[in-house]
Amino acid sequence: MGDVKLALIVQKPQYKGETSRLGITHAISYQTVEILLADGDTVTPKLCFTGEGVLGIQKGQNAMDLYGITSTETHVKNSLLVDLDVLVCKEDLAKYGIPEDAMPDAEDMGADKKIQVVPFSEIQKAIDEAKHVLFF
Amino acid sequence: MKLGVFVSDFKLTADTLDRLKADKLGIILVQNGVYHATTKENGKASSLLDKTSNLYALSEDIQIRGMKDSDVDKRVKVVNYGDVVDLIFNEFDKVAWL
Amino acid sequence: MGNLTIGCFPGLVGSMTYDFALKLAEAAANKGHKVNLWFSGNASGSVKAKQKHLKDYSTGEKYLKALIEKGVEVCACEACSNARGVDKTNAIEGVQWNAMHWYLAKIHSSDRVLHIGGE
Repeated sequence: MGDVKLALIVQKPQYKGETSRLGITHAISYQTVEILLADGDTVTPKLCFTGEGVLGIQKGQNAMDLYGITSTETHVKNSLLVDLDVLVCKEDLAKYGIPEDAMPDAEDMGADKKIQVVPFSEIQKAIDEAKHVLFF
Repeated sequence: MKLGVFVSDFKLTADTLDRLKADKLGIILVQNGVYHATTKENGKASSLLDKTSNLYALSEDIQIRGMKDSDVDKRVKVVNYGDVVDLIFNEFDKVAWL
Repeated sequence: MGNLTIGCFPGLVGSMTYDFALKLAEAAANKGHKVNLWFSGNASGSVKAKQKHLKDYSTGEKYLKALIEKGVEVCACEACSNARGVDKTNAIEGVQWNAMHWYLAKIHSSDRVLHIGGE
């Protein structure tokens, strides 16, 4: 069956609800899915943040000290570390007044990938190209 | 892309739905989403119903709320769970729950 | 016949979205489709056995057992369940346990996926 492309769209803000975090961790799990698939089969997710989903990914989060949980920032950095494509909607960052340089990177962890701030049309393209689309 | 979108809330998902583009868009109203098909806010039907001609509402979720299938806007086809399964497999190539 | 995977994240009690997921799974299985059901987030707590059916609350146990009997594969996110105090020793028999990659693997072989995110 080969590669199956997925678009995972995080559209809800982080922390109050669990679904937005689960969107990230489910995307990261692509890293180990091959143990359950036939040789040559792969799953390639694109992790996209749109709407209010862009609110909770700014750098400088302190979830571990304050609530004893892993921050969304750390999850996003882990996503980059496992070479996921992470797309953040440019129009929505502008809408909420979040500067693009507030987006975290994982250079300190040795990641090659960086967050891609893109117009919504690029996220639509990811949806078009995916076999399945999952909204979180 | 033929995209079937499940709308389960009355107000919360219009923003996302406004942005999605599909060659064929279907909207399947379930849970509180059925109010889009039955309720006229200030006398006006939901603008969601103008987005496509492929509109469906789940009969069970209409009836549980004390409404009748006859209360549904004429543009919306009333379906049951079995029909929803057929829509998923036969009418769309992707489905999304907003 | 097709292959449908449903990802269900909302909890058993509180929104009736869970009820929707189970009814849809049943309808698809009744039509002869292969159905996989993945529980994560609050839905993972729904696999705990010995649920008491009070009429003000939805119940999942009886329904889940019937779905498993019909051949629906039901799997709970083990980490999500353990975080809620549910594990193999107190869970409904026949439920599978795995990590999130189970969901992606089932998606890989599915014709359609309905992902119902949490509230």
